[in-house]
Amino acid sequence: MKRALPVALGLLAVALALYPLEATGYGLRVGLQLFMWITLAQSWNLISGLTGYVSFGHVVFFGTGAYTASLLVNAGMPWPLACLSGGGAGALLALIIGWPCLRLKGPYFAIAMLGLNEVMRVIVSYAEGLTGGGNGLSLPTLDASRSIYYAMGLVAAAVTAVTYAIVTSRFGLRLMTIREDEVAAEAMGIDTLRYKIYAFMLSAIGPGIVGGLSARDQGYIEPISVFPLIMTITMIVMALFGGKGTIWGPVLGAVVLFIFQEAVWARFVYLHQLLFGAIIVAVVLLMPRGILGVLQQKYNLLRTI
Amino acid sequence: MAPILEVRSAVKRFGGVAAVNRVSLALEKGRIYGLIGPNGSGKTTLFNCITGVDHVDEGLILLNGRRVDRLKPHQIFHLGVGRTFQVIRVFPELTALENLLVVTTAGYAEARRRAEELLARVKLERLAGEFAGNLSYGQQKLVEFIRVLMTDPDLILLDEPAAGVNRTLLNDLLDAVRALRDQGKTVLLVEHDMKVVMGLCETVFVLDHGEKLAEGAPGVIQADERVIEAYFGR
Amino acid sequence: MSVLITPAMVGQVVISGLLAGSIYALVALGLGLIFGVMRVLNVAHGPLMMLGAYTTFWLFQRFGLNPYLSVLVSMPLLFLIGVVLQRFLVRRVVDAPELSSLLLTFGLSIALVNLAQLAFTSDLRSVEYLTGSFVAGPFAFSKPRLAACAFAVTITAGSFLFLRGTRLGKAIRAVSQSREVAQVCGIDVQRIHLLTFGLGSALAAAGGSLVAVMVAIQPEMGQIYTFKSFLVIVLGGAGNYPGALLGGLLLGLVEQLSSLFLTAQVNEAVAYVLLVLVLLIRPTGLLKGRV
Repeated sequence: MKRALPVALGLLAVALALYPLEATGYGLRVGLQLFMWITLAQSWNLISGLTGYVSFGHVVFFGTGAYTASLLVNAGMPWPLACLSGGGAGALLALIIGWPCLRLKGPYFAIAMLGLNEVMRVIVSYAEGLTGGGNGLSLPTLDASRSIYYAMGLVAAAVTAVTYAIVTSRFGLRLMTIREDEVAAEAMGIDTLRYKIYAFMLSAIGPGIVGGLSARDQGYIEPISVFPLIMTITMIVMALFGGKGTIWGPVLGAVVLFIFQEAVWARFVYLHQLLFGAIIVAVVLLMPRGILGVLQQKYNLLRTI
Repeated sequence: MAPILEVRSAVKRFGGVAAVNRVSLALEKGRIYGLIGPNGSGKTTLFNCITGVDHVDEGLILLNGRRVDRLKPHQIFHLGVGRTFQVIRVFPELTALENLLVVTTAGYAEARRRAEELLARVKLERLAGEFAGNLSYGQQKLVEFIRVLMTDPDLILLDEPAAGVNRTLLNDLLDAVRALRDQGKTVLLVEHDMKVVMGLCETVFVLDHGEKLAEGAPGVIQADERVIEAYFGR
Repeated sequence: MSVLITPAMVGQVVISGLLAGSIYALVALGLGLIFGVMRVLNVAHGPLMMLGAYTTFWLFQRFGLNPYLSVLVSMPLLFLIGVVLQRFLVRRVVDAPELSSLLLTFGLSIALVNLAQLAFTSDLRSVEYLTGSFVAGPFAFSKPRLAACAFAVTITAGSFLFLRGTRLGKAIRAVSQSREVAQVCGIDVQRIHLLTFGLGSALAAAGGSLVAVMVAIQPEMGQIYTFKSFLVIVLGGAGNYPGALLGGLLLGLVEQLSSLFLTAQVNEAVAYVLLVLVLLIRPTGLLKGRV
């Protein structure tokens, strides 16, 4: 049984890698977006699932990455590097926000994150000279969907691998103690502020990079397209549904809800969002640990799932 | 020899009430101290101030001569202070072993060795992989106790170690505390169970309404009229 | 900025700030009560306010009811809605880790906003009732703002009288100070939770009704009030109810003052910067609350 999992994963990886050879433009875009959502859900999980500090404004890192990467591409930088820089920008922003805001207990951090998205949108609109303001920012046209598909896939895999590494290490355990009992964690010598900031910065890199990749793929961004509240909502639902605090939970949630989204979204926007809200409420009340969390408990599975 | 812990005129207020009011005490190395007093007398608040969970409004707290009253709890921990809590605070979703591993910064192999050794000492080896939240009250109490010992602190603060514990376990705990003292550690415990205090502690501090009422050997304290009055009223 | 700023302008702005602040204080008091009593951060507070605004709109449209009188309808209505939400949803997460209540009310807020989108569409609505300004010397005050402030002050004062003077109000304050002690004193904590959530929702609705005359009504109108209410709670100190008043007024002042020197767009960023500053310097609030 233990052998089967890596083999299955390997086969899956091969299938995903070969997919673009057969897929249409639409099909590629779907795959690319799925990888993006996996990255986002998984990244949100790193801070909120492990430490219990709910980040309501996580999409701000996506938008920051998008703008950073776009500006760099327009300045001549090759897009892979620009997107990685987007991740760096995300981490930097996380440090700047996290340093004052993570000092406090959960509710206060949530408050700070709630308003952050709006503020970033305002700042970006205001700094018109740099960011094109409400008119948006265009990038030189490039048909690189296939490469971006692979890039997104790599990022999704990387974030999942990082999550695995963290959850199976003492660093991850320490993050979890913050969620379990922060006062006791402090009393046991864990510098909770430092760990929270590390987790927060790590959780901002993924969104930063895929923000850049998404911008490169679309060829055009504007404030409202890269700081949408629905993105925060979606990544939270995905991670919650699949199982926050687990490794594969966000992946599961992303896949299931992405399919759901493709089916319902285009036609019934408000119904879709309403359902997401209802799912969040239902998950919190009925299965707070998500699907994988429930399975973990029932079958006493390892945490490495 | 300099005291390992010194509290000088500590004052801690909550709203208009002084939970700790000008309390001073000094602990010598290698002895077992008791802190007693009726409910609400400020014992846990004092503990919290010593360990950095709370901060005194006035006064000083010195550890080995060094001021610690403004430090954060994790900093005080790394200066060699360990504590347990009145209400058990193990990490429920971590296993017993992980609860121990998480507190030390030593290399993984060494930490694991020490953790397993401590678990064996309290006969909990077979529960190492069990989630701490699933353990019985007594087992959690033991885990919390050995968790404190993981980093070999010089000063150990125990908040009601005897609460809710059966006779056998209690005796094991008391023996463990005496063994710690014999190793040169200093122990300060808050306790309601008078038999435990009288049998274990060398010096006892009595708090009442946030003030230090008396200090001395158990026998002396027991006979002190003010102490009797504080506990049983006039 | 080359515009000369006269004392009259400053005076005008200060008074405008206080007028706007009175609404913030009213709505924030509702949020503060819920947080103080249950330690639940009601992310859905803004949407509840929005429902109050829509109630006023529909009553005005259908029956021509004076918007200020509609407060008498929107408050009890939202009180009931609040009680129902508490009874069936919020109650289950009051004792859970804080992130549960945060996520629950977050999900709830999304659901409420989108229900409103489906029911009312996102067309902008307005209540044209009171317009124009009231001029006194060098100052001009918008009439709706004055009226809103008057009502807000009345309702807030009434709330305080309730909290201070009645047994129920004292029970609420007791529970918000210490649940265990209140229970020991024979207070039915569950009932208090129900009432408090209802009361908090009612206060939000009152704010919504008063604001309905002045702003465009649409499903997302409450979101910014959620954030600003949080900010007020942080300013005034959690669990400190008079603090919520001062915090609200202070926020109103700061916003109006900053509009003198900065463009309107940046206003929201101002509130945010204020939040971060307070969190950094004095997280327990300007008037010592409980963290």
